[in-house]
Amino acid sequence: MSESEAMVYAVAAAHQRRAAGCDSPPGRRPPGALGRRLVRFGAALVMALLLPANLQAASDEVVGTLGAVGSDTLAGLMLRWGEALTERYPAVRLQLQASGSASAPTALIAGTTRLGPMSRAMSESERAAFTARHGYPPLELEVARDALAVIVHRHNPLESLTLAELDAIFSQNRRCGAERAISDWSQLGLASPTGRIVLHGRNVASGTHDLVRLHGLCGGRFRLNVNEHPGSAAVVAAVAAEPAAIGFAGLNHLTPSVRVIPRRDGESGELHPPGPTTVVSGDYPLARSLYLYVNRRPGEPLPGPERAFLELVLSPEGQSIVEELGFVSLPEALRQRQLDLLARGPEA
Amino acid sequence: MIEPLPPRPEPRRQWYRRLRDRLATLLITAGGVGVVVAVLAIGVFLALEVAPLFLGAEASVGWRELWQGRWQPGTLPGEAPAYGMLPLAWGTLKAAFWALLFAIPLALGAAIHSALYMPPRLRSRLKPTLEMMEAMPGVVVGFVAGLVLAPWVERHLAGALALALLLPAGMLLAGLAWTWLPPGLRRRLAPGWAGLWLMPWLALLAALSLWLSPALEALLFGGDLRHWLDARFGLDYAARNALIVGLAMGFAVIPGIYALAEDALTGVPASLGEGAQALGATRWQSLWRVVLPAAAPGVFSAVMIGAGRAVGETMIVLMASGNTALMTLSPLEGMRSMSATIAIELPEAVPGGVHYRLLFLAALALFAFTFLVNTLAELVRSRLRRRYRRLGAAS
Repeated sequence: MSESEAMVYAVAAAHQRRAAGCDSPPGRRPPGALGRRLVRFGAALVMALLLPANLQAASDEVVGTLGAVGSDTLAGLMLRWGEALTERYPAVRLQLQASGSASAPTALIAGTTRLGPMSRAMSESERAAFTARHGYPPLELEVARDALAVIVHRHNPLESLTLAELDAIFSQNRRCGAERAISDWSQLGLASPTGRIVLHGRNVASGTHDLVRLHGLCGGRFRLNVNEHPGSAAVVAAVAAEPAAIGFAGLNHLTPSVRVIPRRDGESGELHPPGPTTVVSGDYPLARSLYLYVNRRPGEPLPGPERAFLELVLSPEGQSIVEELGFVSLPEALRQRQLDLLARGPEA
Repeated sequence: MIEPLPPRPEPRRQWYRRLRDRLATLLITAGGVGVVVAVLAIGVFLALEVAPLFLGAEASVGWRELWQGRWQPGTLPGEAPAYGMLPLAWGTLKAAFWALLFAIPLALGAAIHSALYMPPRLRSRLKPTLEMMEAMPGVVVGFVAGLVLAPWVERHLAGALALALLLPAGMLLAGLAWTWLPPGLRRRLAPGWAGLWLMPWLALLAALSLWLSPALEALLFGGDLRHWLDARFGLDYAARNALIVGLAMGFAVIPGIYALAEDALTGVPASLGEGAQALGATRWQSLWRVVLPAAAPGVFSAVMIGAGRAVGETMIVLMASGNTALMTLSPLEGMRSMSATIAIELPEAVPGGVHYRLLFLAALALFAFTFLVNTLAELVRSRLRRRYRRLGAAS
């Protein structure tokens, strides 16, 4: 840029300023080439700062597709929540990929999703991997509870089982204190299904399998002749077809062709069927929490669709969907705590 | 009269045609090479996923550990996982063994009968039926086996076992009876159509064995065969067992074995069998001494391909076997195969972990096995084709 050109430019700029009514006091040197560049840079900077704010404003609106990757136990629940969300905000859709709990941490760590439904808590190593990748821990929200029912064929007259009896039926090493193994129906004092007890359960490496080992077998090991099925529905179908069978499955998978066996307290003799009250009071131990893991940067609000979804999940409406599908909803105090957690973000 | 040659195409069109030929050849070659590369890539991919188990710094499984008899990958806190793959390998082989035990006699028998004795009219009906059997998805077969067949066999165990004994015996009896028939009737009941006129007889036998079995069970086994087996031999009966898997998977394997064996048998030059019969051999002798030995490599490769399918089959084992990681020979107990384990556990395994890589090791083992078996079968078959060509040229 030559000297004269710069002069012309400066004069033109001064004219403009005067026209805009923000004249500089007379005698002050008009801004030179460098100054103008600075001004332009400043404007660009302001624009650059404003732009994300614009985008932020756009994503605060509840619009778009919400992705979630994870547990298949939670799949039905997630889909119903997704439908309810679309009813509230017609422009949002939930896209769910239900390929097992282990897929949730992977997807969260890789950043392909912000929501990871899981039917077990994240392991230490998964949590550590997430923190190492993102610099902050994932936000863990408990969104529902799931109770496992011990089931038998619908014609089986068995009334109840104590935990020790359940352990004696299913485990190799009887850690819950039973004296001897129970492998025949006659040992339970029953006349009608005769012969050996046929055992059905979930596969190794499923959350259900681990849960029963932990709370039902007192950490013991399953017998080798437990038929392992790849899903709760398959367990229910197998038990429904065999009068001499016993198994366990999630409450939400039960059908009228199987009967739920309540837990009998070894000392008081009280019966505790699986259900919201017994799960919350702890009288029915075969229960677990279901989680939603959220990738949320501390100090930043969540994008609109995610926030709306999580608020819906933790709202009374979301929890009534939980009940509808046969899961156990959160007690009120816990629900409030989860809402707090959602508002505050993860603890460092 | 000699037809005049067609006019030579104009140079331009000829150039275009040559281009099209080249292009087509190129595409076909690329397709062929692509398939080979894809197969190799699968092997390499599996090997790469498995390699860190043994080579990397994080190698956490010893070679010895894989040979223990317990598979317990998921663990509670404070417990050491057990990664013994022996029960899985055992389960795979056991399932394949029982399936082949059921499938080979039926499939080879059907192939021999339809290739050598069956009238073409009937054969043209039989082949599409068997092809339809092959097209049946494994899930459907597994579903029927696990949820319909298994409970039924459990309720009618004595009847089912009686059926398994009585049907082959009944067929032999029918064969014997046929030779005593008067010649006129014998001509009406041609052996080629035996598949049809044996049906009522077999149905009668089946009904009889199911109807009589409760009485027999009460008489011989004290009313409860399962209890008797348990008390007498200590045999535990599981509803989903190797027998059911064998039946269902045999059903899935039969069409493949049949098709290849039938091909091999019809490929034997007719002059061989005819020559033998002209020299005074009976039908049985010409079959057993001449035709079968000539087709033996083809029959062998058919069985190998059937074995490959039985080892790799997933859904049927998954749904009908109960997936119990037992190591018993008993056909009345379940097993857990490698392919079913992969299908069940891969979604739950933590990617990159030991469990995950071990599942890939199982996949690699399956891949290697089917690859070897199929290659062997193909080599044997190509040798057979050369032999036929020689025989055909000599006659």
